[in-house]
Amino acid sequence: MPLKKRSPQWPWQGLLVLILVGMAAGLWFATQRVHYEWRWERVPQYFLYQADEPQVAPAAGTVQAIHGDGATRTVDIAPATGGAPLQVTVASSSLQVKVGDTVAADDDIGTTPHWRIGPLTQGLWITIWLSFVSGFIGLIIGLITGLCRLSPNPTLRGLAVLYIELIRGTPLLVQIFIFYFFIGTVLNLDRIVAGVGALALFAGAYIAEIVRAGIQSIPRGQSEAARSLGMSSTETMLHIVLPQAFKRVLPPLAGQFISLIKDSSLVSVIAITDLTKSGREIITSSFATFEIWFTVALLYLLVTSVLSQLLFWLERRFARSD
Amino acid sequence: MIEVKHLVKIFTSRNQVVRAVDDVSTAIAKGEVVVVIGPSGSGKSTFLRCLNGLEEFDDGQVIIDGIDIAGSKTNLNAVRREVGMVFQHFNLFPHKTVLENVTLAQRVVRKRKAAEAHDKAMALLSKVGIAEKAQQYPSRLSGGQQQRVAIARALAMDPKVMLFDEPTSALDPEMVGEVLDVMQQLAREGMTMAVVTHEMGFAREVAHRVLFMDAGRILEDASPAQFFTAPREPRAQTFLKQVL
Repeated sequence: MPLKKRSPQWPWQGLLVLILVGMAAGLWFATQRVHYEWRWERVPQYFLYQADEPQVAPAAGTVQAIHGDGATRTVDIAPATGGAPLQVTVASSSLQVKVGDTVAADDDIGTTPHWRIGPLTQGLWITIWLSFVSGFIGLIIGLITGLCRLSPNPTLRGLAVLYIELIRGTPLLVQIFIFYFFIGTVLNLDRIVAGVGALALFAGAYIAEIVRAGIQSIPRGQSEAARSLGMSSTETMLHIVLPQAFKRVLPPLAGQFISLIKDSSLVSVIAITDLTKSGREIITSSFATFEIWFTVALLYLLVTSVLSQLLFWLERRFARSD
Repeated sequence: MIEVKHLVKIFTSRNQVVRAVDDVSTAIAKGEVVVVIGPSGSGKSTFLRCLNGLEEFDDGQVIIDGIDIAGSKTNLNAVRREVGMVFQHFNLFPHKTVLENVTLAQRVVRKRKAAEAHDKAMALLSKVGIAEKAQQYPSRLSGGQQQRVAIARALAMDPKVMLFDEPTSALDPEMVGEVLDVMQQLAREGMTMAVVTHEMGFAREVAHRVLFMDAGRILEDASPAQFFTAPREPRAQTFLKQVL
């Protein structure tokens, strides 16, 4: 290796581009071979779509007048029982009555278009919400378990070790089934509660080990200095050890949260309509298998990269004192 | 101020038992400056760490200002408030600024108001000559500056006794002087001090008494004048020959 002269970077960057282009081409040829018909235009409707909401007559009566022009019409209905005319506004193209028509209560007058949130957006929201709540609870469980793991009390230590080993030694999918079918049935839990519980317990065990490693990485001199100033062990933990440990565990913690978001896709097995389950449901009706799975993957990627950017930013903020 | 009676500290590691502090008895009077010297591994640091209970001891008594620190009803945190300690590796809190390092324990332990803690901290930082670095993080300071902040941090608790555990051993030679100056000033002001050090010059000039330790025992307890000119123990004689 030459020490002073730096070898040029561009041939390697060129090679990288070449490999990426090659991979894309390979993918394209592969789909050509199975004669897959791409229908990307079907995807957007699963994010947001326009639905027609029927508008009905509020009471029996006669259509007295229709006014308005352009996109909407307002229909005045004189109630059969007398009194002031009632008004219904509908889209012009959907108008189903004429002036002088008699209408009964709940008869269709027409429809109004409404923007509706599609299943992919709903699934994405459920995934984000589920991951956030279970991540937050997992963080608290992990913090407490991590502290118990380091406690001088053998009971607390034993319980913490048992919990961590149990969770780390069994598959998350099995844990979700046990949580839903066994604990969920015994305690009569809602499926969402069971899903959040299983994910939080799972994440908590890993976070506990991260927290333990973080606390142990802080030199003993730090707590000795704090104790020598008369701080109690709790005060020392709170003001000296945990803030420093938190800074150190941010990168592994970020990894754990990203894993959690991805692992949350497993709750679809207990019929929680998260992003993955929404994707599966859409495919049964649209047959756009490839497009939907690619879209779902992209959405997970979007959420995880936003999170990792956020934690990276936090990490840089904490690096102030270095 | 400090009374130590038959103090014993035993370290047990795999099939090895070390009596780090072996039946040590001594006393430090109010306003006295006692320097503990001895070869490395002689137990002098362990002895000092027993004085504020950072090291749990196996037998004997440590009485600080009339309170037995190992007593079943003793609040060790309350005792430690009165005993400041300065460490070899400074142990400043890296996530806090210099000022926060000095105010934190005042706020948390002494429950002082922010303004009061701030004024006290700034006064102490000027005293150790480092007030202009108050807003910096410790990592920006030299070793000597960090150690002076550590002294200010301990003094902020208004301790009755100060313990120094090899305060200059981790410093570059040119920074030793600035720390020793601060310690000397403290001694002049009448602070009760127990200092473990290898700085023979400091021991000779500032100490009222010198304790020479070897293998966990105090072999010699003498005034510096007597110790440095005519040590009685042969171990002390060889030690002095090597370091002077």
